[in-house]
Amino acid sequence: MTDRLDRWADPPLLVLASLAGEPKHGYAIMQDVADTMGVRLTAGTLYAVIARLESRGLIEAMDSEDRRRPYRLTAAGASALAEQSERMHQVAFVARERLRVRYGWAVS
Amino acid sequence: MSGGHGMNAAPPPWAGKLARAALALYPAVWRARYGDEVRVLLEDSGADPRTVASLAGQAVPAWIWPIRHLYDRPARMRASLATVLVAWTVLAGLAVAFAQFTQAQMSPQGQPPGARHLVILLSYGVFDAAVGVSALAVAVGGLPLWLLMMRRARREQRPRDLACLLAPVVMPVLYLAAGQVTGLVPPAGTGNGPIGLSAYLALLVLGFVAGVISAAGPALALRRLRPHGPAVGLAARAAGVAAAAMALAGAASIVAAIGLYRWAPPYHQGWQLAVYPPLVLLAAAVAVVSAARGIRARPVTRRRITPAA
Repeated sequence: MTDRLDRWADPPLLVLASLAGEPKHGYAIMQDVADTMGVRLTAGTLYAVIARLESRGLIEAMDSEDRRRPYRLTAAGASALAEQSERMHQVAFVARERLRVRYGWAVS
Repeated sequence: MSGGHGMNAAPPPWAGKLARAALALYPAVWRARYGDEVRVLLEDSGADPRTVASLAGQAVPAWIWPIRHLYDRPARMRASLATVLVAWTVLAGLAVAFAQFTQAQMSPQGQPPGARHLVILLSYGVFDAAVGVSALAVAVGGLPLWLLMMRRARREQRPRDLACLLAPVVMPVLYLAAGQVTGLVPPAGTGNGPIGLSAYLALLVLGFVAGVISAAGPALALRRLRPHGPAVGLAARAAGVAAAAMALAGAASIVAAIGLYRWAPPYHQGWQLAVYPPLVLLAAAVAVVSAARGIRARPVTRRRITPAA
C-alpha cells in the first residue's frame, strides 16, 4: 500500500519544484519529476497543471523555435514554492519527531 | 499521475491514436494553446491506456473551469449565456412535454391509486417549484440585459438585432396562437384527444423548433451586439441559478416518470421512459456546465491594498 502514497503528491508542487532548477518543456518536466521525485505525471495531469499554473502567473511560457515550448518559474511561482516548501518541511519535521517518539523510527 | 514503476512496458499501438483523439474532447481555445505541445509530448513519451484515461478525464475540468488567461472574459460569458439559453429552452420544452404526457392526464376520473403515490406527488411538487424558480431567475437576470440590448439596437437602428431580440416574445405567441398546442392536445391513448400520437409528436417537434428559434434570437444578438458590464454579470449568475433549478426539475420529472411507470402503468409508457431521461440529462449537463463556465469567467474584483501610513 505504501508504494501508492505518491498519489497524494501535489502535481502543481512537483511541476514548480521541477522548474525551480531550470526552464523545461513538458516532456523534460515529466522526466525530471519521475527521475528526481519518483512520481510519473501523465500527459493529461501535466498539462492541466501547466495551464492552471500559467493562468495564475506562477509559471510562464518561453519563446521556442520548435514545438517543444519551455516554461520557467516566475517570481510569484518561486515565492509560492518557497512558502509551500516551508509548510512541508514543518509537516515532515512533526511527522519524523512523532514517528521517532512513538515507534522509535530513526532517520537514516 | 501514478507511481514510477513499470514506465517502460510496451504500450498498445492504439493508445497513441486514442490519446491524440482524446484532445478533441478539450475546448477549442485550450487545444489551440496546448494541443500541439501535448502532441509533441505524446510523440516523445509514448502513450498507454493510462495516458488516454488521463487526457480524457482532464477534459472535463477543462470545460467546467475554463483557463482564464486563454479567454476574452466578456466573450466567454456571452457565449455561455447563449448556450445556457438554448439548453434552458430545450429543458423548458421537455418540461412542458413532460407535463403534457403526465400531469395533464391526472384528472380525478379514472386515476389509478398508484398515480397518487407519495414519491410521484413529491416529485411533482419539486418539479413545479424548480420550474418556477428557474423561470423567475431567467426573468430577473435576463430582463436587464435584454432591455440593454433592445435600447442599443433601437438607438443604433439595427432592425435585424431587434428582430432577434423579439424572437422570444413573438415565437411563443405565434406558436400558441396557431394551435394552443400545450393546452388542447393531450397525447393519444387517453381517449379525449382530438388528434393522434403522430400529429401530437409533430406539433411537439414544431414547438421545440419554435423554442430553439426563440432562444437563438437573443443568443445571436448577444454575439452581434457584444454587451458588457454589470448586466452581463447578473445574467451569468442568473443563468447559473436557472440552469441548476431546471436540472433539478428535470431530475424530479425523471423520478416522477419512473414512479408513474412503476406504480401507475397506464399513465406512462416504456418508450417515453427510454427517450425522456437521456434528453433531460444531456440538456441539463450542457446548461449546468455552460452556466458554470460563464460564472467562472466573471471578472474577479480584487480589493486594492493601500500601504499603511
